[in-house]
Amino acid sequence: MLPRRAWAASALLALAGLFALAVHAQAPPSARPAASFSAAVANEWFGLALQLTQQTPGFSAPVASRAFAYLGLALYESVVPGMPQYNSLAGQLNELSSLPAAQPDEVLHWPSVANAALATMTRMMWSNASAENKARIDLLERTMALKYGADFDPAMLTPEISNRSATFGRLMAMAIMTWARTDGGHEAWGALRRGQPNYVPPGGAGQWSATPPAFAPPLLPHWGQNRPFVLKEAAACPAPAPPPYSEEPGSALYKDAQEVLRISSNATQEQRQYALYWADDPGKTPTPAGHWVFITNDLLKLRRASLADAAQTFAQLNLAMADAFISCWATKYALNVVRPVTYVQLVLDSSWVPTLMDTPPFPEYPSGHSVQSSAAASVLERIFGANTSFTDNTHNDRGWGPRTFRDFRSAADEAARSRLFAGIHFNFGVTGGQAQGRCVADKVLALRLRK
Amino acid sequence: MKRLPVLLLTTLVAAAPLWSAEPPAVPRFVEETDSAGLQSRFDGDFEFQVGGGVATFDCDGDGLPEVYVTGGVNKAKFYRNISTRGGPIKLQEERSGLELTGANGAYPLDIDGDGRVDLVVLRVGEVQAFRGLGGCKFERATDKWNLRSANAWHSAFSATWERGQPWPTLAIGTYVDRSKADFPWGSCTSGAVLRPAAGGKAFANPLELAPGHCALSMLFSDWNRSGEAALRVSNDREYYKGGQEQLWKIAPAQAPQLYTPEQGWKPLQIWGMGIASHDLDGDGKPEVYLTSMADNKLQKLEGDGSRPNFGDIAFKRGVTAHRPYVGGDIHPSTAWHAQFADVNHDGLADLFVVKGNVASMPDFAMLDPNNLLLQNSDGQFVEAGQLSGIASYKRGRGGMLVDLNADGMLDMLVVNRWDKAQLWRNVGSGTADKPQPMGGWRQLRLIQSGGNRDAIGAWVEVDLGARTIRQELTVGGGHASGHLGWMHFGLGAAQSVKLRVLWPQGSWGPWLTAASGGFYAVDRQNGISAWKAP
Repeated sequence: MLPRRAWAASALLALAGLFALAVHAQAPPSARPAASFSAAVANEWFGLALQLTQQTPGFSAPVASRAFAYLGLALYESVVPGMPQYNSLAGQLNELSSLPAAQPDEVLHWPSVANAALATMTRMMWSNASAENKARIDLLERTMALKYGADFDPAMLTPEISNRSATFGRLMAMAIMTWARTDGGHEAWGALRRGQPNYVPPGGAGQWSATPPAFAPPLLPHWGQNRPFVLKEAAACPAPAPPPYSEEPGSALYKDAQEVLRISSNATQEQRQYALYWADDPGKTPTPAGHWVFITNDLLKLRRASLADAAQTFAQLNLAMADAFISCWATKYALNVVRPVTYVQLVLDSSWVPTLMDTPPFPEYPSGHSVQSSAAASVLERIFGANTSFTDNTHNDRGWGPRTFRDFRSAADEAARSRLFAGIHFNFGVTGGQAQGRCVADKVLALRLRK
Repeated sequence: MKRLPVLLLTTLVAAAPLWSAEPPAVPRFVEETDSAGLQSRFDGDFEFQVGGGVATFDCDGDGLPEVYVTGGVNKAKFYRNISTRGGPIKLQEERSGLELTGANGAYPLDIDGDGRVDLVVLRVGEVQAFRGLGGCKFERATDKWNLRSANAWHSAFSATWERGQPWPTLAIGTYVDRSKADFPWGSCTSGAVLRPAAGGKAFANPLELAPGHCALSMLFSDWNRSGEAALRVSNDREYYKGGQEQLWKIAPAQAPQLYTPEQGWKPLQIWGMGIASHDLDGDGKPEVYLTSMADNKLQKLEGDGSRPNFGDIAFKRGVTAHRPYVGGDIHPSTAWHAQFADVNHDGLADLFVVKGNVASMPDFAMLDPNNLLLQNSDGQFVEAGQLSGIASYKRGRGGMLVDLNADGMLDMLVVNRWDKAQLWRNVGSGTADKPQPMGGWRQLRLIQSGGNRDAIGAWVEVDLGARTIRQELTVGGGHASGHLGWMHFGLGAAQSVKLRVLWPQGSWGPWLTAASGGFYAVDRQNGISAWKAP
């Protein structure tokens, strides 16, 4: 039998325990908000996504932009319950009216949620990755907690919270993937590798036709019919009308073609460097959208951004770039503007071809790089500030970097103009694309992220 | 020091409200699948990943519900109920005329108003209607009744009797386009509404219910007590494009109209799989439970009821049931059939949810036990699946709580994909040898003349003294599973209670008194009478 004093102490302890239980039943312990964790989980997954994009077949520029957008959305939606001042995008994006809700009484650990959501989404989006890269996905998911002990504090991360968080992250990724499968892009490059339905380019003077040297069939002719994320329709951001087709000397198109011929034939070393730097070819690089993801990922690391900051940034940036490609592709295949190489060979110089790179296999207007770089720069200006100087390390491994830019706009303008220097776009394709990209960014930035 | 225990007790008493109300009594269920003679499997590949329903109905007039279990690619089986009242459940497979393949769901109702139960069978293929001939024999009546459907993937059903109609109006939901099985996303097909043809005796040509968003459950219910049932449709977000949950206004002689956000309908996207409806809070309007993949909802009508503005109270009431409660699987749950019923006779509706992985989806629980959520006196629900003995790790789909042995206690049927169907007998607080009901109960059967013989659409109110419990008599909902027959009420400690019936498109009948613990027929013309087995 316990002595009386010990009994009293035990009783008080039991009482305290019961009271604690009772309080627990009423008010669950508050979880740390997403803003109190580092962006390491996001940095790691987007870093791997860049590698996967470069090394996985089929990740052309539009396809890559779509994958990055779903990855950014999965990150944002999985942690937004831990961002008290922010809204979910369910109800704001097309045909996405609701997403699974976090259980209000269950503490979630946001890095674990994000880790599971991003791992699941990465597996589904890059489902045809090589076996080696699939192993990298598994390894990254498993080792995240070991690499970032400060975010994955074992004292706080009980097995229950860890399991529950991973479960919620996976569920969110599944819900977003379910929505993704119906956007049209999944059919173009989905798990089942469906080929595009037969597409016959329109004929007639001034219409785009396959270009030398490969005369490849048009790339993703139905991409513009995909469901945009934010734009109410792909045509919501029309590019200014291009000059009408004319072979008359003195016509606007004739003059633009002369300009392409002149600049590309006499490009300075600097202009040639720009052309190659922003080529961002699929299979060799993370594509144009990946280029901006790379820049952004570095900036977030440099600024020691929080998980919440990274979620917001990657969501806005990638939604803007994905909608930019849809908008651009809709315009390209609606107008079917001829490429400079075709026009120049027909009208000005039958032996001319661009010397720096092959003309991509799709219509000219507007320039895809111009649209998406303009959209990306507009988003990053809003997030980081218009006068933010940054260093671009995307192509360090190719010996072309690092390069420092004084601001996002100058980098985007250089990317856009690089297509003219390369001889694959007219100047109006560049300026028209920039206008379209700004419009897309404005609509993405109008999303009600903050409460 | 002597005052310490007193202080402790006082403090504990004072702290008591911090805990939930006294936990509800847990009934015991004993599995009798094999001993009852239930030998059915629901098999099939992609086109049978949803569905797997069971129908219960009394077709031989002995008061014991027969059981019809769909089998997917296997033959659907009819079992005559030969149980001894109050004893173990015994089912005997018989040839009834209901045998067919491709069946994934079934709903009983008396279509032609002849007093004999008929059956609508959902199929991967054309829907089939069977006319009851009596004595548990059926004949195909699909063509005779002009019940026209395409060679589609049928996945949901509900029925109502519209004002002045002797025949029911049927709603049939479909899933994805069968020709696009290699890429089903975005290929949901339309549903249909079939109204009685002029002159009766058959259905008019179907009205298209478009857009269809891969319906997995439908329910005609008078959601705002206007006297007119609307059609609730729960849709699977997995395959629709731009879809959402739906509520269709079905006004007499008018084309179906979707309720819109402007009218108060809130868009909701879930992996909708099942619907259960019940007035839980006693305000006279039904709450709606929607099953999904880890995202189950309990919707309550908000505002004055003039607009279909539903808010989610699943978390508040403890019915999220979003992951397994036993078995150690940490993945999210996949929920299908749902049903409110009072399994422990405390006068409070409980919630039964059938769970199971779609196939072997790695991101969802493989060990996903069915739920039995018992309602507390404070309105909270408490999981009792494990304690009650119904936790099963098979791939559950359809199901039914129904009293199979006429002892007043609701037994449980579950259909499982790629596995055998299961059956549990509710023995209350007793054992298999000595079942013991846990409280008062009463079962009612409504009868009226005219076409709608079973008074589908009626509301029954039972006055327990301190509060009133209500049930709406519906055909539809759940997951591919239907019941026609006794309405079951748990009465708690009450020995004799009053009840009244709001007859379909009619007025309240008088208050009637009946003792606890029996079966009663309530005739619209002749009032209440105790029912005895022939």
